[in-house]
Amino acid sequence: MAHVSVPMYWRTIPQRYRMVGQRCRKCDAVNFPPKGVCKYCNASFEFDEVKLSGKGKVHTFVLIGAGGAPPEFAEQEKAGGMYPVAIVELEEGPKVIGQIADVNPKDVKMDMPVSTELRKVYSEEGVIRYGFKFIPEELSR
Amino acid sequence: MTKLSIGISGYGVAVPRLRIKKDEYAKAWGSFQASGVSEKAVMGFDEDILTFASKVSKRALASVPLEPGKVTRFALASTSAPYVEKVLSGTIVSSIGMPDGAFVSDHTTSSRAGTEALMAGVEHVLANPSGCALVAAADAPKASMWSSLEHGLGAGAAGFVLSHDDLVAEFEGHATYVCEHFGERFRPRDDELIRDLNVKKYAQSSFIGATVKAARSLLEKIGTKQEDYAHVVIQQPDARLPRAIARKLGFTDTHLASSSIAGELGDLGAASTLVGLAAALDAAKMGDRILVISYGSGAASDAMSFKIVGERKADPGLRSEVDRKQYIDYIQYLKLKGAIK
Repeated sequence: MAHVSVPMYWRTIPQRYRMVGQRCRKCDAVNFPPKGVCKYCNASFEFDEVKLSGKGKVHTFVLIGAGGAPPEFAEQEKAGGMYPVAIVELEEGPKVIGQIADVNPKDVKMDMPVSTELRKVYSEEGVIRYGFKFIPEELSR
Repeated sequence: MTKLSIGISGYGVAVPRLRIKKDEYAKAWGSFQASGVSEKAVMGFDEDILTFASKVSKRALASVPLEPGKVTRFALASTSAPYVEKVLSGTIVSSIGMPDGAFVSDHTTSSRAGTEALMAGVEHVLANPSGCALVAAADAPKASMWSSLEHGLGAGAAGFVLSHDDLVAEFEGHATYVCEHFGERFRPRDDELIRDLNVKKYAQSSFIGATVKAARSLLEKIGTKQEDYAHVVIQQPDARLPRAIARKLGFTDTHLASSSIAGELGDLGAASTLVGLAAALDAAKMGDRILVISYGSGAASDAMSFKIVGERKADPGLRSEVDRKQYIDYIQYLKLKGAIK
């Protein structure tokens, strides 16, 4: 991940803090994260806001460790050890990338049900960047 | 005019998954200084009091259930906020989707902040019959690893919905005792860590004196007696001090049993009495009374009385949060606490 400026990050708060996506008025598909033009029909830029459930299942994943973390996550890897990053298929359809927290990395499985909660993603310029991470579904409620 | 009853309509709790046992301290330092604490909860690298306040707020609303859009007042309590200047409530309001016109307040200067926030919610609902307050206390106090004060410091959070409707526990009244006291637990503005001067008797006499005075004046004010209470929740800097206070007030260990959390979770700072209250609510039966007594150094104590009028319980309850755990060693603890730079 490259550097994301504070104003750029701020604009993404609804999607990062509470999973706000958009439903295409033309093809009805749900876009997450929000897009300028619908990713599914490529023919519409008119959307309705929709709050996603945050629930989904692991489509694929990788374990990041041994110095493999990008700079903004290097400290996390050093302090907390190896961490899983997954592409999760949300129940509304979109596939999104995110860390899986509150889990022993060895216990992450394909198709594992997950949900989202607010976590610290990383800090830059003294500003804590909060956002969703996935957690195993049985821990949420 | 008939008195309109208000109180707790729902609640939720959360405890971080990581734990450290007292043996780890004994191995590293040769002793462990928090009486009666056998292990304690530790926040992970990507957790802080705001992520926990968000979690318990969501759980408290879901337990009623209540739409976030209905909240008219939000109060946050913690002594270990990630920022000294910034509206902390903004993070929670935004992550939950509460109305941007809700009145918010951040309570951060002592371990009494939990009941301070709870009372702010109570006063809002008393003044606004259609209002609905959400109160969240989350804490993970930090002290120097060289200080014995650090040994007991744990982590946890609880959230409460207060309103006129659909009550679980009716609010019966409160009393406060406040005085000037210094040199116990404190944090000068340029310090990141709390400290004390390690004069135990001096600190404890204020702690015991203030809590006993607040509790006695509450009982007198609302006309209840010791035998009316099934559960007594007292601020828990360790697992022993609350027992001394309970005895002075004429209560026994049985009264403390349902809310005794320090032994497994440590000192939860501003979240101590609110997580304790949630634990008491989990165990309480219809008609039970709960007495809550907080303490904040500096010094003040709030006493609050509740009566159980509904059957609703938190989901997950505190017990399942306490039982879900993974142990870490002292080196991992130092890294997570940022003690190794």
